[in-house]
Amino acid sequence: MAETQLAILFTSIALVVIGLYAAIFVDNIIKKIIGISFIEEGANLFIVGIGYKAGGIVPILMPNMDPAWFASNASYPLPYGLVLTSIVIGASTLAVMLALVMVLYRKYGTLSTSVMLADTSKQEEYNE
Amino acid sequence: MKLYDQLFYVVKRFKKLFSPGPVTNADVSGSITAEIFIIVSIVIASLLLRHVSVLLAGFVTLILAVVLITNIPLIPKFRIEQEDSLNKMLFYAIIALGFIVIFLYWGGNLV
Amino acid sequence: MNELIPLMVIVPMMAALLLSAFSKYDKLIRILAFVVAICLPIIPIVSNYGLHFFGGYEPMVDNVTNILYHPAITYSFDFMQQCFIAMIGLLTFLVVFIYLSKYKKVSGPYLFLLFMGTSAATALILTDDIFHMFVFFEILALAQVGIVAASSIEYSYEMALKYMILGAIGSPMMLLGIGFLLAMTGTVNVTDIVAILRGGLLNVTSPVFLLSLGLIFFGWLYASGLPPFHTIKSGIYSKAEPHAAALLQSFTVISMISIVIIMFRIYSSLPIFEVFIVLFSVIAMILGVSMALTQTDFRRMIGFLAVGELGFIGLGIGLGTQFALTAGLFQALNEIVITALLFIGFGAIVHSTNEVDTRKLGGLLAYHPKVGIMLLIGGLAMAGVPPLNGFQSKLMLVQASLSCGYPELSILTIMVSIATFVVFVKTFYSMFLRPKPHDLEVADKEVPKAMVFTMLILLIVIFALGLFPNVVTSGISNYVGGLLL
Repeated sequence: MAETQLAILFTSIALVVIGLYAAIFVDNIIKKIIGISFIEEGANLFIVGIGYKAGGIVPILMPNMDPAWFASNASYPLPYGLVLTSIVIGASTLAVMLALVMVLYRKYGTLSTSVMLADTSKQEEYNE
Repeated sequence: MKLYDQLFYVVKRFKKLFSPGPVTNADVSGSITAEIFIIVSIVIASLLLRHVSVLLAGFVTLILAVVLITNIPLIPKFRIEQEDSLNKMLFYAIIALGFIVIFLYWGGNLV
Repeated sequence: MNELIPLMVIVPMMAALLLSAFSKYDKLIRILAFVVAICLPIIPIVSNYGLHFFGGYEPMVDNVTNILYHPAITYSFDFMQQCFIAMIGLLTFLVVFIYLSKYKKVSGPYLFLLFMGTSAATALILTDDIFHMFVFFEILALAQVGIVAASSIEYSYEMALKYMILGAIGSPMMLLGIGFLLAMTGTVNVTDIVAILRGGLLNVTSPVFLLSLGLIFFGWLYASGLPPFHTIKSGIYSKAEPHAAALLQSFTVISMISIVIIMFRIYSSLPIFEVFIVLFSVIAMILGVSMALTQTDFRRMIGFLAVGELGFIGLGIGLGTQFALTAGLFQALNEIVITALLFIGFGAIVHSTNEVDTRKLGGLLAYHPKVGIMLLIGGLAMAGVPPLNGFQSKLMLVQASLSCGYPELSILTIMVSIATFVVFVKTFYSMFLRPKPHDLEVADKEVPKAMVFTMLILLIVIFALGLFPNVVTSGISNYVGGLLL
């Protein structure tokens, strides 16, 4: 039991760390966004890992099941419900980010963060 | 006399701060206010360390006061660090995350 | 009458969906938006206090351990929530009113964003469920990004994308923190988590618990725009349309206090939690006000001031006594009103001159005396001049920090107030009082009546809260006393 859960936790930590690395050090905005979605997926995987139970059954109470047996064998359903919501939110965040990148790519013609998302306060402050 | 020259230099640096466009009286006096405000408030805030250790608070306050006053055009430096570029924002965000996690791990049991 | 509690969230959300679906019919969505906006401040006022359990799942007592469990998502509605929801409802009404009267052709999706933001902020402050809080925190962030990107101001897309990328780092961290809490306690209901902690079933000094605090705290910093996120927060205020910026700052304040109250309930047994809140609040005060002093774009300047004022709220909550918490929450209520007034007032100036650089403005008092005087009162309220409401809450904060044994914080509070005053006087002078530059063209048109009306209403609230603070503070104090038990 412990091995599977540990593997899940280590994978999720690896995903978060790789994602953070990409978000900080990679200049291409698309790769940056891929890194960011890695962080999100790492967090989701972690929460899935919480609900894991070795040899557990699907947490749906069928009519002919003994509730006491069910309670001791079913995996914990709450994290799965949460992760489902969180995946939907992550997808919509991703969509909005990519849409904004599309608009900005048309304006600048590059995907480099240091060009596209540089400091703009100087240009806009005093334009004749 | 040297300090006076330095103060004069500060005003010149402020002109560069507002470089494209004119510099008005109000802007420069605002920047000087900000300069003094930042020095005084950081020194006063560092006095809060006395709840950890009085000796530490004394040292930190003195050192901060000397360092801040001798580096006086502080506002241009602060403004460069707080500009709108994504890379700087991300850098400080990650630094803050590391700071929070490290100090919680060490200080959670102590305080 | 507790059925009204979920309606505070459902009504704006439903209205948002309908407005976006029927965006072709201009007249219909105008009427619908106006009617719903009027309902928003009324619902919390007529509703009774109490709890609402979604799906009707009442709390259950576990027969073995004798602990009460909350299986449903729970909304709790008390005096504090009533104040804030009524205030944000009033503000939404005023902002929607300005928007409807400003444009001949209204946009359904834009109204969708405004109402969705209101709905998310309301849910944030009502909820007693830490994952529910996360979901609405994300929805609120998306709505804010949409509002910023929808303004046609230069570089607004860039700012929206920056905000989004930083948020996409902050919110998974918060989710991880929630995951740690869930792993340790097996529940996401705050009341249950607190009961488990009080029962001594969880080691509060374990590294996992501390790490969950750190990660949720980081998410909170992003939501509230305290350093290191103060630059992006002031940036999005300056890139939104002025009336939308007034709403955005209220969302920020609401999300700040609702998340911090949940964190306070869970983590207040750790002294370092309060140390951290005070630390970041002090940094926010210093950096926010000092950056505001050097800005030449007045929208950006109010943005930084708004962030600096957030430090006061954090200070009150970080001190952690009943009086200090009351002061912090009262300051939050005041800040929503005052900053909204400033954003809308300066928006009127943008409307008539099309200029945001203070160096190019001047002599506007002759053109817009009404707006000038109302802005002056708003600025004085923000700086804490009696008898306005900012004075009452800042005085309470100074007293609270003195009685907690931190005179340095009182001095800092007063200094930041003075610096705020300097910022305001400097901007007011260069915009309204000094001679008009020759090349400045002031369009000879009246400030929209809707804006003047809005400012008048907000001024009335400012005076009312300043003259009779007890109406609010006594109720909030009772609520805080319940938190600290």
